[in-house]
Amino acid sequence: MLSRIADSLYWMHRYMERADGMLRLMKTSYILSFDKVQASGMTWEPALKIFTSLNQEEVAHLKQDNTAALKYLLLDTKNTNSLKVIITRARENARGVQDQITKEVWEQMNLIYHQINQPGIAEKLAGPDAILIIDNFINSSDQFCGITDSTMPRGQGWNYMNLGKQTERCLLTAEFTHFYFKKTGFDFKNEQDILFWRSLLLALSGYELHLKNYSNQHHNYNVAQQLLFDKNFPRSVYYALDRANKYLSDIAASNPVEGSIQLSRSFGRLYSSVKFADLELVEKEGLENYLTFVRKELNEFSRVLGRTYFSYS
Amino acid sequence: MTGEALFNNYPIVPHIWDEMKSSDGIRQQYYSIYETGSQLSLEQLEQKHKLAAELFMSQGITFTVYSENEGIERIFPFDIIPRIITGSEWNHIEKGIQQRIKALNLFLKDIYNEQQIIKDGIIPADLIASCPHFTREVYGIKVPFDIYVHIAGIDLIRGDDGTFYILEDNLRTPSGVSYMLENREVTKRIFPNLLADNNVRMINNYPLLLHDNLIHLAPRQNANPTVVLLTPGIYNSAYFEHTFLARQMGVQLVEGRDLLVDNQKVFMKTTAGLRQVDVIYRRIDDEFLDPLVFRPDSALGVPGLISAYRKGNVAIVNALGNGVADDKAVYAYVPDMIKYYLNEETILPNIPTYHMNNDEEREHVFKNMNKMVIKETNQSGGYGMVMGNSATEAALEKAKENILANPRGFIAQPIIQLSTVPCLIDGKLQPRHVDLRPYSLCGPNGIEVVAGGLTRVALREGSLVVNSSQGGGSKDTWVVDTPNL
Repeated sequence: MLSRIADSLYWMHRYMERADGMLRLMKTSYILSFDKVQASGMTWEPALKIFTSLNQEEVAHLKQDNTAALKYLLLDTKNTNSLKVIITRARENARGVQDQITKEVWEQMNLIYHQINQPGIAEKLAGPDAILIIDNFINSSDQFCGITDSTMPRGQGWNYMNLGKQTERCLLTAEFTHFYFKKTGFDFKNEQDILFWRSLLLALSGYELHLKNYSNQHHNYNVAQQLLFDKNFPRSVYYALDRANKYLSDIAASNPVEGSIQLSRSFGRLYSSVKFADLELVEKEGLENYLTFVRKELNEFSRVLGRTYFSYS
Repeated sequence: MTGEALFNNYPIVPHIWDEMKSSDGIRQQYYSIYETGSQLSLEQLEQKHKLAAELFMSQGITFTVYSENEGIERIFPFDIIPRIITGSEWNHIEKGIQQRIKALNLFLKDIYNEQQIIKDGIIPADLIASCPHFTREVYGIKVPFDIYVHIAGIDLIRGDDGTFYILEDNLRTPSGVSYMLENREVTKRIFPNLLADNNVRMINNYPLLLHDNLIHLAPRQNANPTVVLLTPGIYNSAYFEHTFLARQMGVQLVEGRDLLVDNQKVFMKTTAGLRQVDVIYRRIDDEFLDPLVFRPDSALGVPGLISAYRKGNVAIVNALGNGVADDKAVYAYVPDMIKYYLNEETILPNIPTYHMNNDEEREHVFKNMNKMVIKETNQSGGYGMVMGNSATEAALEKAKENILANPRGFIAQPIIQLSTVPCLIDGKLQPRHVDLRPYSLCGPNGIEVVAGGLTRVALREGSLVVNSSQGGGSKDTWVVDTPNL
């Protein structure tokens, strides 16, 4: 596989996964914004803090205004991480590898791109249809995953796509978790009620699982346990790394180039630091340190991955 | 309005050949379109028109116009009424094109080797020497099977008496074939029964034929040679076509930065290391291919590519230097080439062409400017054209000045009223001028001309310029075999 193609597939899926994470967080924020008493009083703060580079003052200003926040997050091209920019980048990547993805995947990618560029979308966001628009995007994003899964051949391209997706997913979960636990001072003893955690869990599609599988006390512990280590939760840090580990081994096995062994080793260290850890250990080390470590290592991994397999320019 | 009224109200313009209707009524090859169309309402026809546009949009068959940091997606306009050519007309065209390409291939081989045609005084040496596309850098390079023109898009037009003329030869990187193929796919969706009922000749084997030809050119003895399609990248207006062809042939689509030359061999950079490339179907112009030989500022090409080409370690399609054969001034000599190399009479005639560096011919043109079209010899895509019948006085004077400053850079031809085909515009069927670009593939096993080609249509009323860059659209083109035609 051409290095450029591998690079584009990896990033196309990182962008699409980011878009997905962002949309879910936005939907949660939007719905919660109508509750009279905000459990956390945060409304758009998580979305604005995690996905934009606005300063404290600008966030404070935007977070009270549904329409303005939505427009900034979804459509504003001055925001380099807006949905529109992310989708455009994903599509540019897809265009560059159009012959390597299936026609179905390309058409779905194209559909989402036209969806974000549809005439009158800005006006609709100001009205009661805003939630519909977000829902439609989430739908399209789900379809994108489904179409990719059911049409893409399993091979090199598939491995790079999914490695990108899982890397981004792991980063998102770590960042969301970091943001919410920061509000508690990263203290497991500083117990918050379920309403506080609900928006985080909803944004990661993990609320139902939480209600079913976890007890109704020690929420801080339970949420951390689910988001970091739950083997059955498809957005947990562990799950994402476990999948990434599989795709990386497949890539390394078929691309025995210089540096691939070192790359596998360094990823292995990160993976084991999650696989063989538990909450007791995390509490001892400090949750903040732990999350920072995971994010730092993952970003470093992405950089070395690029150097090892994508260096074509 | 009913479809019947639409067709019956279709006007005939005097002194212009219409493909559907003559003064005796609807031509036989259009009967079934007429019958089907008559049973539909205007709304239904317009619905089909809309559906076609949506199909192009959703498949991303678009080009992007960039303004203010935002890309706007546009489709190339498509008209749903097909352009129909009868089997016997087509057989004539096919023979004519095969003859022409055969002669042009021999010409290219000659001009980059012995140059007998110049020595024998058939073509003046200064005409070739002054051609900007005559590429001295490839002089003497041997190409596989002596084929230079692997893919040709030779443009034809039809005059008022129904005669097909050669308008120009495109022998470098002719584009548009994906539109020919996609137009047909769209027609299958909007008029499913018509194609089968009309015995329309098949076109969708084009990518297979092309792939087959490309494989044959591989310099290494290898059962599965590496063929790549070299594109300038996603910002090129024909990028859709590049991905389309790569996908249809199952070959890698590469950019210049994916390739490198080592020890006069070409490699592509893969995640598993370097892999040798045997055949490059390039969609990049000659002057951008190798910064070491041509334009040093080109970032699209591959440094050292020409050295590998010269050594015979890689085949490049189409060959370099073909521009000398599709130069608009050299065009006038193609009938002489056919006589010289093949000893045959030309099957498809040229349009009379006046050379501006010939004083007598120039005087004649200057006296009859309003009947002439002036073309720059090294331009294509409808750029650098002055239509004598519609240009302003000032523009004509300016054209004269330009010609006098550089006579070799221009030719003139009498304006030919292109034939018309009905188009659905503003709720009416209206005649619009068309040309025809059949696509030919030349390989070791001979020359194949895919039945039909791309019909380009000038959508503005009265306009004779069909290029997509100048407001042109396209139509599906049928070659129909019926017993009486």
